Amino acid sequence: MPTVVLLDSSLSMTRPVSVEGSEEFQRKNLAVHGLTMLFEHMATNYRLEFTSLVAFSSLWELLVPFSRDYNTLQVVLVTDGALGIGRGSLRHSLQTVKQRVDDKKFPLPFPFPSKLYVMCIANAEELQATDSMDNLEQLINLNGGEGQIYTMEGPLCLKSVQSMFGKLIDQAYSPFHAVLRCGNLTSDVQVFPRPEPVTIDEEVDPIPKTVQTDLEIVGFIEIGDISSPPVLSRHLVLPIAVSKEGDEIGTGATDDTEEETSTNQMAGKSPNFCVLLHGSLKVEGMVALVQLGPDWFGMLYSQADSKKKSNLMMSLFDPGSEPLPWLGRMSQLGPASDAAENPYGEDDSKSPFPIQPKHKRSYAQNVTVWIKASGLQTDVQKILRNAKKLPEKTQTFYKELNRLRKAALAFGFWELLKSVAELLERECTLLPDSAHPDAAFQLSHAAQQLKLASSGDSKYAVFEQNITPMLTDFSGGGGADRI
Amino acid sequence: MFSVSHKTAFVVDHCPYMAESSRQLIECDMLTKSRSQGVIPLAPVSKSLWTCAIECSMEYCRILFDVYPTWKLVNYIVSDSEVHILNSWKQEDQNTHELMAALAAVGPPNPRQDPECCSVLHGLVAAVESLCKITEYQHESRTTLMDTADRVANRGRIICLTNAKSDTHVRMLEDCVLETIQEQNKRAAGSDRLMPIQQCELVLVHIYPQGEETLVSDRQKKELSSMLSSEVHSVRAGRYLASKLNVLVQQHFDLASTTITNIPMKEEQHANTSANYDVELLHHRDAHMEFIKSGDLHMAGSTSRDSGLKETVTLKWCTPRTNSVELHYCTGAYRISPVDVNSRPSSCLTNFLLNGRSVLLEQPRKSGSKVISHMLSSHGGEIFLHVLNSTRSTLEDPPSISEGCGGRVTDYRITDFGEFMRENRLTPFPDSMIDAAGRTPVERAKSQLERYTRYWPMIISQTTIFNMQAVVPLANLIVKDTLTDEDVLTCQKTVYNLVDMERKSDPLPISTVGSRGKGPKRDEQYRIMWNELETLVKAHVGTSERHQRVLECISACRSKPPEEEERKKRGRKREDKEDKTEKNGKDTEEKGWTTDSERLKGVMEREKDEQSECEIIKDSPDSPEPLNKKPRLATEEQQPPEKSKDDALHSIHPYLQLHASHLDDVIPHLCRHPLQALWSACFCYHCLKDQRTVCANSIYIRNGLITNTSLYSSITVTLLALGSL
Repeated sequence: MPTVVLLDSSLSMTRPVSVEGSEEFQRKNLAVHGLTMLFEHMATNYRLEFTSLVAFSSLWELLVPFSRDYNTLQVVLVTDGALGIGRGSLRHSLQTVKQRVDDKKFPLPFPFPSKLYVMCIANAEELQATDSMDNLEQLINLNGGEGQIYTMEGPLCLKSVQSMFGKLIDQAYSPFHAVLRCGNLTSDVQVFPRPEPVTIDEEVDPIPKTVQTDLEIVGFIEIGDISSPPVLSRHLVLPIAVSKEGDEIGTGATDDTEEETSTNQMAGKSPNFCVLLHGSLKVEGMVALVQLGPDWFGMLYSQADSKKKSNLMMSLFDPGSEPLPWLGRMSQLGPASDAAENPYGEDDSKSPFPIQPKHKRSYAQNVTVWIKASGLQTDVQKILRNAKKLPEKTQTFYKELNRLRKAALAFGFWELLKSVAELLERECTLLPDSAHPDAAFQLSHAAQQLKLASSGDSKYAVFEQNITPMLTDFSGGGGADRI
Repeated sequence: MFSVSHKTAFVVDHCPYMAESSRQLIECDMLTKSRSQGVIPLAPVSKSLWTCAIECSMEYCRILFDVYPTWKLVNYIVSDSEVHILNSWKQEDQNTHELMAALAAVGPPNPRQDPECCSVLHGLVAAVESLCKITEYQHESRTTLMDTADRVANRGRIICLTNAKSDTHVRMLEDCVLETIQEQNKRAAGSDRLMPIQQCELVLVHIYPQGEETLVSDRQKKELSSMLSSEVHSVRAGRYLASKLNVLVQQHFDLASTTITNIPMKEEQHANTSANYDVELLHHRDAHMEFIKSGDLHMAGSTSRDSGLKETVTLKWCTPRTNSVELHYCTGAYRISPVDVNSRPSSCLTNFLLNGRSVLLEQPRKSGSKVISHMLSSHGGEIFLHVLNSTRSTLEDPPSISEGCGGRVTDYRITDFGEFMRENRLTPFPDSMIDAAGRTPVERAKSQLERYTRYWPMIISQTTIFNMQAVVPLANLIVKDTLTDEDVLTCQKTVYNLVDMERKSDPLPISTVGSRGKGPKRDEQYRIMWNELETLVKAHVGTSERHQRVLECISACRSKPPEEEERKKRGRKREDKEDKTEKNGKDTEEKGWTTDSERLKGVMEREKDEQSECEIIKDSPDSPEPLNKKPRLATEEQQPPEKSKDDALHSIHPYLQLHASHLDDVIPHLCRHPLQALWSACFCYHCLKDQRTVCANSIYIRNGLITNTSLYSSITVTLLALGSL
């Protein structure tokens, strides 16, 4: 999540902090010290984070901008908790939050998922003495409770500002390290950005799910079969070299100091499973399904940034046993070699995916809808069109007739059955002399059957029973069989 | 999860007054011009209030089942003098076909039925009772949650389609529902199969014929109690009712509308012209989340033509270029339902998608810039609206994988791992498929990956065997969970084939990376190869007894000089010499008998030579055990075959003499492993060559003893001398 740092640069931030002995610090110096620590941490452990810095007092100035907007943000507000007075102060703004007009809405809650961290260059007692703490808490509440207030413990000094920012780093900027496994092949990786805990069903299952640090591949699926699945988030999977002490050497993607470079070169030269996996996924056009936790899965694939650059990417599916309807239940996916017959075919011409649902959707099953008059008219026309082409169109004629009959019976629309029967009788009288004799027989038979159905007589109005073509000397008895 | 929309009870009034005409006339006699003369057109038909109610409620269900095939359940109730419950909460009952069949059985209301005994109240009472009944999903959740089962809520909605007399009548219906809920909740408290209703939404739809004044007034949603809220919609039958229920289904299930515009379609009448059409689709409103967040919704949206109430977002069809398989970054996929399902544009679009094509959709922007925001695609006969990410990625410009760990390595076994991935593709198994060990398919998939990767070198220069075509049959089989006898045989054949290669001194694809000069000598290469093969097979030896047999075969057949350490100390001198001998042997293979016997002589001499050396190291733990057999081997070799059939060495050596043409096959090994007192294996050479079953003819000789002598009577035998056991 990109980060915006808001630094309070109002006059109160220049208040001196009493430190025994040594030189005198202002609160601003402490804030800068803390932020330096945060930025240094990001530079080493959280490199790919996008960061922007804004200084504000009564006005604000964007010091380091993002070049465009993002859909999620983390906001780090650094302030001494002196809220100012009068119009435009936080206190005043919060009091009048409900009186604002639409185009001058209070900025919180942000119109995007966000976390608001307030770093107070002040201790809790100091803030509680006034209503500052209450006001700051109100800010977090306005943001849907997303965020946290940090205060300094003990005297205001470099040490306590460090410990406060340390907590923020642990909370929001600790790199996510994991082990990627495919059977016995493994690689230590950093997952970036950190996968955040997810709560799917607040009511029945309110415990947030977290991605486990053991990412276990369960098998492989073709890109065509997984078919652009919806995902919660995307993350880079960066192989990392772990030294004997368990410290991370780096992602190998940097070239800061010479020493680091040589270490990275070493790491670059020893084979890594991520690179192998990435290469094969890319060449084969496949994805690896990876288990992220109990009943939670994701996929690994090669993501090309440009023609030259590509990376191993992991996308997280919704937690749950069946995140993608077309794959079915994840726990029921097993090795293709266990199947009695190769589901992919001996020549790779088949696929067991997508799974077909039990019932067809309405648009796939020729349903009858007469809400608009045109729907009904079209269906009647279809029957009449086929009626004129009897006996060649006997099959289609009865198919359309039965479709109409079924719907009319279900809708209790017996009047329609009578009307169509009359139409067919009239068609019969209008038959030209050249007409096949069978046409007349079929038309009057169909009309009679519709009339019987419209009487509601249980014998003739059975939904599942179709009208079958009349057996005539002309139809050769084949008609009924073909229905 | 168990919101109000989990359960919807439809109550449709089936009393005599519902048989009344809606007075909306439909012309169904559309005469063609040519025949119209002299024919009096039929009178238009009109639907009854009942027919209007049924088709609109079916349309509601159709959209619901299209968008939510599971979890959102409908219980359909018809009420007259009694209650007809047409289906249950069961998932299998949730489809329009079943409901239509049941409705056909009910038929239209009977206008001659006594109106006094008919009432929609019966149906409302039944609906409340039904809402108390637990669904499969509620049951499953309660069972899995156990101690927190009380988190499973019971809420529901009653949609009542009726013709009410007055506002007082409506109030009476509401009071009845409220009382019934209170009553039923008491009953439900003491039952396992029932749950008290926590929240119920009553939606009363009063339907009246066109051209009449309504007797019932519209009323917004109102809380009647903590459990019951109620709203009243007074609607004229016909298309007004249809659009009302369309709006309701959208409200009730968080749906939104998207209109796909600019769909090119061939004209029915003029096949060579094409016009552009629009198709309106309904889907979960989260598919518009990006527009809502960015505030673009109002800009992108336009009012739908059919109803003034709802809004639709217009997205432009982008003609698909190719059928290429691409993995889009998609943040959501939502099932759709066409608003006008059997109109020609709708069915053209849905059929196009059902045939496997995908369509990208473009969001019109004021600036004129082109942003692809959605994609329509079908999966297994269901069409989904995919939301594509169009905001800026937070993962922009990441380092390439080649810049990271392992990125500088260039000889990854990419193709082999691709093959591995194909072998480990997944497939769905039926829900009951749990194996004998109680493992689910996904657990079996993981354990297969574990087996397949027990020995899997990642780079080409780290492996010999996986670069050899000859090893493939064994490598593919040994990773399996179970082996058949035939599989074992195939593995053995692979081993014999390798032995054969070694005999012929075929070059091996051994990496020269990191070694100076030409790399290891041929026999060293084979030693590396055998070691690696053994490593592979040893990793699977615990799987079954048959896997064990494969290892035994390798151990029996392979060449592995135990004194290799010693030989290294002695330098490469002899090896060079030996190598030459080997080469000579190969070159002169066709020269026949004389050369062979000459070579045999040389071999014998050298063998003696080595014997003395081996005595020096006899205390070493590496030194071969059955030294005492060695002299016999050397001396008895030239004895005639008839003499001592019982003695393994005797029984072998006759063949050496009898089939001189095959000496060639034996000598190199004799030369190379003179210290080996063990002749490990021999087999019927001809059979192997013909690829016939060899098993019965295979014999193992351990410590000089033939353990299977079945081939004594058989034809040409080639001996291969191999490593220690």
